Amino acid sequence: MNEWTIGLIGLGCLLVLLIVRVPVAFAMFVVGYFGNAVLNGYPAANSLLASEAFTLASSPELVVVPLFILMGNVASVTGMSRQLYDAAYAIIGQVRGGLASATVIGCGGFAALSGSSVASALTMGKVALSEMSRFDYDSRLSTGVVAAGGTLGILIPPSTGFVIYAILTEQSIGRLFLAGVLPGLLLLLMFIVTITLICWFRPGFGPAGPSTSGPEKLRALLGAGPVVGIIVVTIGGIYGGFFSPVEAAAVGAGFVVLLGFVTGNLNVAALWSATRDSIVTTATVMLILISAHLLNPFLALSHIPQFVGETIAGFNLPAFAVLGLILAMLLVLGCFLEGFAMMVLTLPIFFPIVTQMGVDPIWFGVLVVLTLEMGLISPPVGLNVFIVKSVAHDVPLGRIFVGVVPFWLAMLVTLILLALFPQISLLLPNTMIG
Amino acid sequence: MLAIRQLADRLIGLSAVLGSLGLLVEVGIILTDVIGRLFGHPLFGSQDLITMTMVIVVFGGMAICDQKGGHIAIDIFERHFPAAFNRFMDALSALLGAVIFAMIAWTVLESAKLSVMLNLSTNLLNLPKAWFQWALAGFAVLTAVGMLLRAIEMAAGSSRNARR
Repeated sequence: MNEWTIGLIGLGCLLVLLIVRVPVAFAMFVVGYFGNAVLNGYPAANSLLASEAFTLASSPELVVVPLFILMGNVASVTGMSRQLYDAAYAIIGQVRGGLASATVIGCGGFAALSGSSVASALTMGKVALSEMSRFDYDSRLSTGVVAAGGTLGILIPPSTGFVIYAILTEQSIGRLFLAGVLPGLLLLLMFIVTITLICWFRPGFGPAGPSTSGPEKLRALLGAGPVVGIIVVTIGGIYGGFFSPVEAAAVGAGFVVLLGFVTGNLNVAALWSATRDSIVTTATVMLILISAHLLNPFLALSHIPQFVGETIAGFNLPAFAVLGLILAMLLVLGCFLEGFAMMVLTLPIFFPIVTQMGVDPIWFGVLVVLTLEMGLISPPVGLNVFIVKSVAHDVPLGRIFVGVVPFWLAMLVTLILLALFPQISLLLPNTMIG
Repeated sequence: MLAIRQLADRLIGLSAVLGSLGLLVEVGIILTDVIGRLFGHPLFGSQDLITMTMVIVVFGGMAICDQKGGHIAIDIFERHFPAAFNRFMDALSALLGAVIFAMIAWTVLESAKLSVMLNLSTNLLNLPKAWFQWALAGFAVLTAVGMLLRAIEMAAGSSRNARR
């Protein structure tokens, strides 16, 4: 039996294990470990397992993962999303669809505190849905905007999606964070345009909210000041070269905790609960990464990525067509696979192909993370839709899925724009880092 | 069985406490280092402390992660399978997880023997690498035990249901 036949059998086993609901990390571990053992012998597989488990668990680059998760979790429990939402509402709440636009801006702001889409959708859902319901917003618009706005969490830095991509493809986390800024802002703008268009054609979907007075506006903006300050210090610190991403994450987490205690929105019990939740999420992510680091050498030894690459090259398609094909495949897979799992399962195969074709790995990372975001609101397993459903009990799931359709289309347009104009993603990393 | 479960739950709780404390300590170390650097006195050996504490954070959280059902599974086909098959797969997955963590513990313990023999330590503070490998293995064993208990409980629950 040749190597790539063994590789194909391994991939088949992986697919079967995933279909019968074996956790993604376990399935990848089993196929990766035994695949390495068959191709390279048990001593080599054991040695790889021991070294990867300890090396990844003590990796200086990965320290950023639990720290940003902690920052997001503490920001959630201290109600910082409320302050961001209030400030955005004070500015644009009184225009038609303004509450929905304020929600998107609030999501964008919260995304700069938290690298998690789920955390963004959950916290902003709790804050914004009741307000939009109070002002008779159509539930399709209100739930759709929260589910879609939440996805900004993994495009706008800090982003756990970019960190995982960086680790799997050995790219710079700082460059990827920089590359996510303009696409994140572009997507935020596209969401606001979508809301405006919806409310233009269906004025009843998003009636204008009551206007706020000058002092109220000032109070709301001042209220969000410290939160914005933390975002500026942490993210600005990375871009300004003051901090490494790890230091920025710790400084951000420290500031969020400090602000929570100073404002009285955080107590020791809530901090402890947020910390405990953070280590649970970290464990989930890290076990998948350890398993991915067992699976990747197996795939490399079996020459599957090389085989797929040579097959695609045989079609003599231009690089752009191959990229389009890969993104289309990711979009389809995103409908069925959890986004993070999709990334760790597909990158070992797709990444060597696109880099061989001269595609910039940072640009590709932005495109992959955006497709991952789209998967978060795609039926049937759109995680963010379920998160919104958990907050909006009285809105049927089908109605929420209908509500996200315009935003999914806005993301598709953004994906096409980012694919057509790599400069949008690469401008900041190329000018600021070189 | 109940006593073993209670003991395991306490140890899983303890490992979560150690992991959580590790994360807070990590924040403290990095903040001290950053503030110290501002005044020209960065914390000596902070990198060693951060990376080794990370081992406690990551593996300290593994057992509680399993207990809280934190591992991602693809469940879109779940409703197409018979309930008995899904229960069987849950128990089998827990058993598989137990084997995986036992393997991690065993291979890391073997690697720790090498670290002791070669006297491997961190770059600046010379913290013995084996200490943290033993800690990792200990947390992995606890996670394996927690998963094994869960598999046994699910299997016992399924057979009780079948008898009824």
